[in-house]
Amino acid sequence: MKRWSPSYPLAFIIALMALMPVLVLMVLAADSPQLFDARNLQILTNTLALMVFTAGGAVLIGVPLALLTAYVRLPWGKFWLVLLAAPLAIPSYIGAFTLYAAFGPGGEIEQLTGLTTPSFDGLFGSSVVMALYTYPFVMLTVRASLLSLDASLVYAARTLGMSLLSSLWTVVLPRITNGIAAGALLAAMYALSDFGTPAILRLDTFTRMIYVEYNSFGLSQAAMLSLQLLVIVGLILFLESRVKGTHERPGKSLTLWPGKLRTSMMLLSCMPVIALSILLPLAVFGIWLWREGAGNFELVYAWNSAYAALFAAIATVLFALPVAQAAISGKFGRLMERVSYLGFGVPGIVMGTALVYVGLQLSMLYQTLALLVLAYVMRFLPLAVGSIRSTSERLDPSLVKAARLLGASQKEAFRRITLPLSIRGIVAGAALVFLEVMRELPATLILSPLDFETLATYLWRVYEAGYFGQAAIPGLLLVVISGLALAVMFFGERWNQTDVIEEEPSLS
Amino acid sequence: MQRRTFIQSLAALAAAGALPLNISQVLADPADAVSVEELPKLEGELTLYLGRGEGGLYENVIKAIEERNPDLKLRIRRGPTASLTNAILAEAKAGVRRADLFWAVDSGAVGMVTAAGLAQTLPAELTGQLRDEFRFPDWAPVTGRIRTIPFNTERLTADKIPNDIMALPDTDYSVGWAPAYAAFQSFVTGMRILEGDKVTREWLKAMNRKAKKFAGELGVVMAVERGEVDIGLANHYYTLRLKAGKPDANVDLAFTNNDAGCLVNASGILALKEGELPANFIRYLLTKEVQSYLAEEACEIPLVNGVMPPEGLPRLKTINPPQIDLTRLADLRPTIDLMRDVGVL
Amino acid sequence: MIEVQNVSVHYGQKKVVDELSLTLGDSELLTLVGPTGCGKTTILQALAGLIPITEGTIKLGAQTVTADKTIAPEKRHVGMVFQDFALFPHLTVMQNVSFKLKDSRKADHWIDLLGLTPWRDVRPANLSGGQKQRVALARTLAHEPAFVLLDEPLSNLDAALKDDLRWEIRHALKDAGVPAIWVTHDQEEALSVGDRIGVLKDGKLEQIGTPESCFSEPQNRFVARFLGDASFLPGRLDAGSNIVATPLGNAPAAPVNGAEGEVDLLLRPDDLSLKLDEQGNGEIIWSRYEGSARLYGVKTDTGATVKIRCSHENIAEPGQRVMMHIITTHPLAVFDQSDAE
Repeated sequence: MKRWSPSYPLAFIIALMALMPVLVLMVLAADSPQLFDARNLQILTNTLALMVFTAGGAVLIGVPLALLTAYVRLPWGKFWLVLLAAPLAIPSYIGAFTLYAAFGPGGEIEQLTGLTTPSFDGLFGSSVVMALYTYPFVMLTVRASLLSLDASLVYAARTLGMSLLSSLWTVVLPRITNGIAAGALLAAMYALSDFGTPAILRLDTFTRMIYVEYNSFGLSQAAMLSLQLLVIVGLILFLESRVKGTHERPGKSLTLWPGKLRTSMMLLSCMPVIALSILLPLAVFGIWLWREGAGNFELVYAWNSAYAALFAAIATVLFALPVAQAAISGKFGRLMERVSYLGFGVPGIVMGTALVYVGLQLSMLYQTLALLVLAYVMRFLPLAVGSIRSTSERLDPSLVKAARLLGASQKEAFRRITLPLSIRGIVAGAALVFLEVMRELPATLILSPLDFETLATYLWRVYEAGYFGQAAIPGLLLVVISGLALAVMFFGERWNQTDVIEEEPSLS
Repeated sequence: MQRRTFIQSLAALAAAGALPLNISQVLADPADAVSVEELPKLEGELTLYLGRGEGGLYENVIKAIEERNPDLKLRIRRGPTASLTNAILAEAKAGVRRADLFWAVDSGAVGMVTAAGLAQTLPAELTGQLRDEFRFPDWAPVTGRIRTIPFNTERLTADKIPNDIMALPDTDYSVGWAPAYAAFQSFVTGMRILEGDKVTREWLKAMNRKAKKFAGELGVVMAVERGEVDIGLANHYYTLRLKAGKPDANVDLAFTNNDAGCLVNASGILALKEGELPANFIRYLLTKEVQSYLAEEACEIPLVNGVMPPEGLPRLKTINPPQIDLTRLADLRPTIDLMRDVGVL
Repeated sequence: MIEVQNVSVHYGQKKVVDELSLTLGDSELLTLVGPTGCGKTTILQALAGLIPITEGTIKLGAQTVTADKTIAPEKRHVGMVFQDFALFPHLTVMQNVSFKLKDSRKADHWIDLLGLTPWRDVRPANLSGGQKQRVALARTLAHEPAFVLLDEPLSNLDAALKDDLRWEIRHALKDAGVPAIWVTHDQEEALSVGDRIGVLKDGKLEQIGTPESCFSEPQNRFVARFLGDASFLPGRLDAGSNIVATPLGNAPAAPVNGAEGEVDLLLRPDDLSLKLDEQGNGEIIWSRYEGSARLYGVKTDTGATVKIRCSHENIAEPGQRVMMHIITTHPLAVFDQSDAE
């Protein structure tokens, strides 16, 4: 059953599709005169440092929050979960800009309260900002892993005399290294490809070089540099696939009921994160809104954002299913899955142009909603694949075996057993894609149908022109709609009782 | 490959466009700006690619044009100028033409498209409305922007600032600049053209030691206002707009005289499809009403005769900006390489 | 009718099943027993088609499977009951049992037969272990397989439950009239439930036969030890009369593998009698209370150690001297002393 899975052909086509923009980049880069520049080294160091610090920061914030949301019984538990995952909804350049405007000498905080604050700047500032906007990747993947772990090992450790914290450290975390790695991978790739944050906070990174080239019409140089960046991406993809989690029988997961004081303290310690990543940008925009007025925002932009994101989420998940299935079927499948990740590490603006070239090949569909959704699928496939794969990996293999023995073919077993039991991962993948599409900019600007304005494009428009007050309402709507999508996802988890974990005591 | 044809056409343009002033003066007597009343009504469908649309202001112009022409269906695609340029070039390569018009905020983008031979020739009497130095066969500059030195009014006064850009490194003021910004790169290109590569290199090196980098020139002006730096290098309208929103802001404009430091650049529009409709649309942008609106509200410099420049800006004659063929400013590659070499970029 | 001929299965370089041959008649229940790692689960998976075989032939009724020519699991009409039940957690009992069935009558029949009707519409998460296993069995039998494989079906259940369920399953299998292979590591279970029993060690079939023959006439010491408490007492076999003389008495002998001369006699705990005796022929080393019986470890004066089980009323303490006699009348297995493992 392990040799050649029927999902392979479809997965191959889809992986190839996800790879097409990268191939376009190679064609574009062929014009480029120079392959490597010594000056690139300093910038490369900055880029790698930013990537490492961002991934590290995201893990430092995301893992404790994952523990909190997975294991601790909080009042209005799901609400906190949605709130803590919400930073994914905000474009990181918005976060960077508002933090930059708020802190530091002459910043809004100083103007309003008179307190001088240190400024967010350079490597430190960029790492903090990027960590703040990518930690939800880690939090969500780790949380899913934690929920599939059997609590009895922690109980065993505690009865042997270990405190709760050290048993979490020694007994729980080592078993979910692959969940941590998967989240850190996404955070790292995001840090590699993001331009807005390092530009605003004045950190010289590889992407900045790419953007400079791009904006001065050196497209082939920009493409060449993007491909060089992909080498780093390939490396971290390789490293991440090395991290293996434990394969174990699922059991009832851990639940903790700390007292009121403890719970309040824990929630309080989350506050800085939420405050900096969500409340601050909204507050800053609010101040400017009050100062400047609302401009010509239309509600249809929110509608456009929402349904484009919804189509994209559904389409991406559908395309992701064969690839995820292939990834757990064998080595070749895993390779295809890794390859489909490459596009995610390409800086957005370059990817946008590559997608334009790809889109032009289907000239009838160019600048239609269908093609835009397809572009989103190509860009964000890894988000869905990773989520689905890590859920179906954890399924008890004897379930599929039992179905086969009862007469179901591989396809039927997948459809009736693997699929329904992977709903959690599917929904999580769809939610991630939804959030990312909500804030996507470069591809949307060029490939969307005419007069199709989204929240992200409008936000960019007013930001570029300097009318920051006008960014408040779309910014708020971005957070609200994305928060709703997250809420649906998390509440849907309970509705579908497919937990292989026993939640109620058994009757006899 | 793009570059080679670009340089070829650059040479051609240089031969045809940068005529000595007296000859171009002879060619056409610049008339006063046309009024919208005199223009034919626009009917039909137009697709406009608008690069970085200066917020609501260009929008307001467009809205006004639409209101005046109810039979015109105008569809707009907005995006970063470079993205749109690349899209237009890619579309042309694939034989797909979507855009009728391309309105870009800097002339570099316009240059790329005209170099690829994609722009339609504009009627002579259309381009004839513009001031001499702003007349080109296949594109129309819309509004101008001038390089300035915004300074913090709490610390400095205008007379303390040298009026020779090359003397700036000798002062001990802290400087803010945005090397990644297209207009700044055009400014450096201008300096290269006027002073030569060697001198430009020295200037950049010296300035780099005392300059603080910002992502955009709005950031530069905001930093000057905050007091983070003493002076900055930016397009004029950022300061004027900031002051319009905050009249008591601690920033004001200083100018150099007749060098790259007071270079005048322009946003430009070109037609990608032939026909009267695109050209007629462009006429609207050169009318008295639109030009004065942009001067008053966007604080940009009108390029047609008979329209007052924005408040807070001295007359161009007193500043005496250098005479450079705008299309030459599109030759960015050597500028970028130079800036990179010095470590500015 | 199942015929396995010289089947081997490799995991990488390691031979997990080593040239195994056995035949299973219609509606025969064969139990396979052996220590962990002996390959019993692997055999089941190979028979089910879940893993490929590297050598040999499997004949499943009309179908033949070899290393080169394999048949997909869903085409083999084999039913499998898993150790961890493998119930589909998102489906109710009824939906589980009628998974691939076109009409629900068979499902109803088996749900009814196994007493599961009150839980028809319940999801597995809310069932007890015993109920889950019954559902798994109902599901397998409702699909009318040509033969059934059971992979340690009772090892996840409590002891009290095992006994009853054991017989329920056996009855259900006989009722269905299908041949079955039941894998277990519990020798008591293997001996009681199977028509025949096969003992496996390291992928090799050590012995296959009726429970009685395997228990009383084991082919080697491993089988002897594995199937029950075994004590080996040195003695001398008289070839002519087939009687073995030991310090604890004489007994009729059933020589294994042509044992002769100095032999070891296989004694089960109930083959000996025990009585307190100051003189005696042995001394109690340890004793264990088992409720209805007592088990003693006794050291004979000749140095051998034997285990004896007697009625709970026969109380003796460690250190006390006892008199032991062989009381069994049927032939007991004897092994060559050089045969010792």
